[in-house]
Amino acid sequence: MDDQNLPDDETLVRQTQSGDTRAFDLLWHKYSPRIYSLIYNMTANHEDANDLLLEVFAKAYRSINGFRGKSSFYTWIHAIAVNMTINFVKKRGRRFQMSLDDLDANVQNDKEFIDLTAANTPVREVDLSELQHRLNEAMMKLSVEHRAVVTMFDIQGMAHAEIAKVLGIPEATVRSRLFYADRQLQNYLEEFRKK
Amino acid sequence: MMLDEQQLQKLLRLKRFEQPPPGYFDRTLNEFHRRQREELLRRSALQIWFERFISGLWSFRVPTYAYGAAFGAFLAAATIVGSGVWAPDRETVETSSDLARVASSPPGIELSSYRLGLSGDVDWSNFDRSSVSPRVVPVLRPSQSALPRYVLDGRPVSYEASFSF
Repeated sequence: MDDQNLPDDETLVRQTQSGDTRAFDLLWHKYSPRIYSLIYNMTANHEDANDLLLEVFAKAYRSINGFRGKSSFYTWIHAIAVNMTINFVKKRGRRFQMSLDDLDANVQNDKEFIDLTAANTPVREVDLSELQHRLNEAMMKLSVEHRAVVTMFDIQGMAHAEIAKVLGIPEATVRSRLFYADRQLQNYLEEFRKK
Repeated sequence: MMLDEQQLQKLLRLKRFEQPPPGYFDRTLNEFHRRQREELLRRSALQIWFERFISGLWSFRVPTYAYGAAFGAFLAAATIVGSGVWAPDRETVETSSDLARVASSPPGIELSSYRLGLSGDVDWSNFDRSSVSPRVVPVLRPSQSALPRYVLDGRPVSYEASFSF
């Protein structure tokens, strides 16, 4: 079903709370790609992202009766996902493995990709898979808290205020984390380019 | 040449294209259903009930009108009791018959069986205080040996020495 034809989140949550499991399936269809992307970019591992995605939705389903609608469902499930992933990564330690081998073919038509690989950019000579690998390596050098902020802001395009709500921190902290993370990433990528 | 901030952001946005293979989310939803069913079968009915109870407890909210209603009920009760229309325990007021019964009871009777009379009609002679409550506080009585004191011009006469005249 197209996202635009779906009932709004509030209705779907209410239906789920009253025992309609199909309503929760619709919430799954709506949010699982974003939640997956969030977890995957924080763990850089497809198997871990797969397991965590299932656990996040299982936890959301179990606690949906306690969801009071003070925030949007989107913020609420993001908060569950971020917290579970941070805990997971801290327990697991540093294990980096890229397992999604190929970028989506749509990237070739993406304006940003075309701009980046156009003449006079530092990434021109770098091929796609190398670029992907480089980025992930650089991301994994960040702390998991910084990675979460970069993923939500730079990759998912969330606003500062929304990220602050998800993480339960002030907006100023989100900005400072982003600033620090961007500097770190720039340094890592620069080092790689010089090699 | 170093990557500037904009280029870095563009580069990061490319990560949106790192997607799992097509059909992945449908397959994972089936896996999700399978795990949910397994979990349901594994857990006992008591566990499920307890989880729902805890979950319901978190979502329980005291309605705002409940505070007003509680205060109103308190005011009504205070008014009824304060105006004397209704006393919480009528037996405490009707004490004369009780006291007679208490007085005729043996001296070793328990203290708790005595009731306080609030109306002031209590015949205190019915209480045998000596047998019930031992005297704890010392009582000050006028001393037999003390002489009466007469005061002249603000000075007690009995304490004046003879040479002061």
